[in-house]
Amino acid sequence: MDKKTLLVAEHIDKRFGITHAVNDVSLTIAAGEIRGLIGENGSGKSTFCQMLCGIYTIGGGTFTLDGKQLHIRNQVEANNEGISIIVQEMGTLSGLTVAENIYLGHEEPFMRMGVKDTRAMNREAQKLLDSYGFGQIKAGAMIDQYNFEDRKLVEIVKATYMKPKILVIDETTTALSQNGRLELYKIMDAVREDGRSVIFISHDLSEVLAHTDTVSVLRDGEYIDTIESPQVTEDDLKRLMVGREIGSAYYRTDYDDPVTGDTVLSVQSVTVPGELDNISFDLHKGEILGFGGLSESGMHEIGKAIFGASWDREGTVVLADGTKINDIPTAISHSIAYTSKNRDNESIILNESIRNNIVLPSLEDLANHGLLNGRKLTSFADEQAKNMQTKMQNVHQFVSDLSGGNKQKVVLARWLGKGSDILVLDSPTRGIDVKVKQAIYALMADLRKQGKAIIMISEEIQELLGMADRILIMKDGKVNGEFLRNPDLSEEDLIAKMV
Amino acid sequence: MEKKNKSNEQSKLRAFLTGDKFKAVLPLIGFVIIIVVMHIMTNGKILTPKKLRLLFSQIYYPTIVATGVFFIMTLGSIDFTEGSTLGVASIVISVLSFHSIPLAIIGGILTGAAIGALNGFFHVKFRLPSFIVTICTMYLFRGVCAYFTTESAVPASNAIKALDQDWLKITITLAVLTVAFFLFKFTRIGNDVKAVGSGETAARFSGVRTARVKFLTFVCAGALTGLAAFVNVIKVGSITSTAGNQLETQILISLVLGGLPITGGAKVRFTNIIVGTLMYAVLNSGLSILGYEPQVQQLIKGVVFLIFVALTIDRKALKVIK
Repeated sequence: MDKKTLLVAEHIDKRFGITHAVNDVSLTIAAGEIRGLIGENGSGKSTFCQMLCGIYTIGGGTFTLDGKQLHIRNQVEANNEGISIIVQEMGTLSGLTVAENIYLGHEEPFMRMGVKDTRAMNREAQKLLDSYGFGQIKAGAMIDQYNFEDRKLVEIVKATYMKPKILVIDETTTALSQNGRLELYKIMDAVREDGRSVIFISHDLSEVLAHTDTVSVLRDGEYIDTIESPQVTEDDLKRLMVGREIGSAYYRTDYDDPVTGDTVLSVQSVTVPGELDNISFDLHKGEILGFGGLSESGMHEIGKAIFGASWDREGTVVLADGTKINDIPTAISHSIAYTSKNRDNESIILNESIRNNIVLPSLEDLANHGLLNGRKLTSFADEQAKNMQTKMQNVHQFVSDLSGGNKQKVVLARWLGKGSDILVLDSPTRGIDVKVKQAIYALMADLRKQGKAIIMISEEIQELLGMADRILIMKDGKVNGEFLRNPDLSEEDLIAKMV
Repeated sequence: MEKKNKSNEQSKLRAFLTGDKFKAVLPLIGFVIIIVVMHIMTNGKILTPKKLRLLFSQIYYPTIVATGVFFIMTLGSIDFTEGSTLGVASIVISVLSFHSIPLAIIGGILTGAAIGALNGFFHVKFRLPSFIVTICTMYLFRGVCAYFTTESAVPASNAIKALDQDWLKITITLAVLTVAFFLFKFTRIGNDVKAVGSGETAARFSGVRTARVKFLTFVCAGALTGLAAFVNVIKVGSITSTAGNQLETQILISLVLGGLPITGGAKVRFTNIIVGTLMYAVLNSGLSILGYEPQVQQLIKGVVFLIFVALTIDRKALKVIK
């Protein structure tokens, strides 16, 4: 390569307790390069970047930027060295204005004898926002007024306005709509034009291939290879990530197996103020009913409404036997399962063991005259977790130690253990690597064959096309389109109904 | 390579010192240290049968109260009303003791339960943090307690004072501990309470009736304080305005000394109650034997408490106490 080397990482290492998160990783990035960084959950890609950015301390090895060895202790120091990061989670602070968020840690230029010149700060911030084309965001407004996506845009400005030498983008695109993504790609291209570099982390392999120059692959904390993006296919990447051939059957392949089962659940004129507006539909035995739409379309509330978890719901959700579902315990005891998009907060108890998470909905079934037997609970949880091939030391391990994919396996294990017949899965593969995704798709196809009914709420259009027997597209709290399973259905057909 | 090994060992040691296993045994280590230190400093006076009997006589009613608070703190909540509840319930018991002893006991328990219900109602229905609610009600019931005791202390009947016998107090205390242990360990109740403490939202989505669990926990803890008031009345015989004064701090310190994480949740152990109340009692009587002024005693207890919280708190689960 004739390009100038910008960043050299040598023997980078990190352990968390017994987990070897990053194991002796060395790589170099050239100036003016967009480098994709991929790997399964727990492969160490985020940890690697967070060490570079001063979020974690470096466990071992060195980073050299522009010929100078880095000794970074925190994020502000990293910024000063020319490294910034856009994180996966919410990275803006509530209670501050947009401008205060953008200049957080870099307020000196606006200090007049120790007093902050708010007007100058707002003026400069607004200029920045306008120059990015985000003029709809007002610099002087509180950040809390904006939705998740706009807040991400603010973070993008914050991370890039000072023209960092290295910009790290850690799975930011999952939070962005199509428009926001396009803006981000533009910014990445601009950084490259300028002779600076980007490290781009994403689970969306087609996106990685389309927008990077080279891709580095990590697996189980170890460096595997770096390849030129134009020379490989998604399947090549998957193979490198997993370390073996991924079967071709990713989604369902059947298209001639129509749903003939009876109605198991009816949703009648359900309204949740601000979320859902007079929604009605039926779910049938052996059906995978997909819900798609933009993030704010109300589709995520559907799952909660069915599960009896909405705070303020009108209308009825009724089972085939006439049972009305109005609260969560009734839903669970009548064989309804729900996995939330907000997995860490709503689906599992992070500060609890795998065992106690799995047994929680099934305690009544497992109790003998109201008495619980610890050994019985353990063997039940162990069996369910192993059925899902959860990677764990034992069932007493805390869920907070697990990777995203394994957490989702614990969530599914508890509902399979409960034997639920109606599964409401909200974003079941969100933030999950290919191997676990494949397992979840296979599981869904299998459950469908067993005659269970599944509602799959998803922001991934390919997933809807690949898995659902019927797709309802939501817009502004209403059903805006209905599609039956069909190999000729395209992404564009669905998007047309979303926007 | 050698250097790497060394740093590896250091990090292992550090992982052990900050790990859960170490935190779990820390209260026991602390217990032994406190006993040894007190034994040496008092020249063995603390372990004489007479002093031990005195020591145990101090822990019956705090243990009963601590058992209820243990469940509240497992929820991740907190309760500051124990002292004032004990005071009000003691007055009720004393007054009723002139009519009938069983009536007095029931009256005490119901009084405690009613105060617990009030706390639970405001905490759950209005979604107020429990420490705000219980600080308010603490003032309220301290006021009630003071109102009935300003003129003169409220006396209890001779019949109830005649019950001041160790076997009765031991039986009641052990019965409470046994039933609570059973509920905590072998029924859904214990599981639900822990689940709410570890992650309330996720617990709700797993079918736990979180509002009901929280409300009932406060009611039961109140009722236990009412029962403890009975044990208190048979011991002291007449109720002054200071009845149960600072009991809430004593219980909080005891439980934390016993290793109860103040964030509640999955890592609580039932033994926290027993180890904690014993430790507090040893510390307390040791300091008295040594002849420290009450003010100095309070200062020392505060320091020990701070050190323990700093060592044992689970920073990963740290959030505002509900």
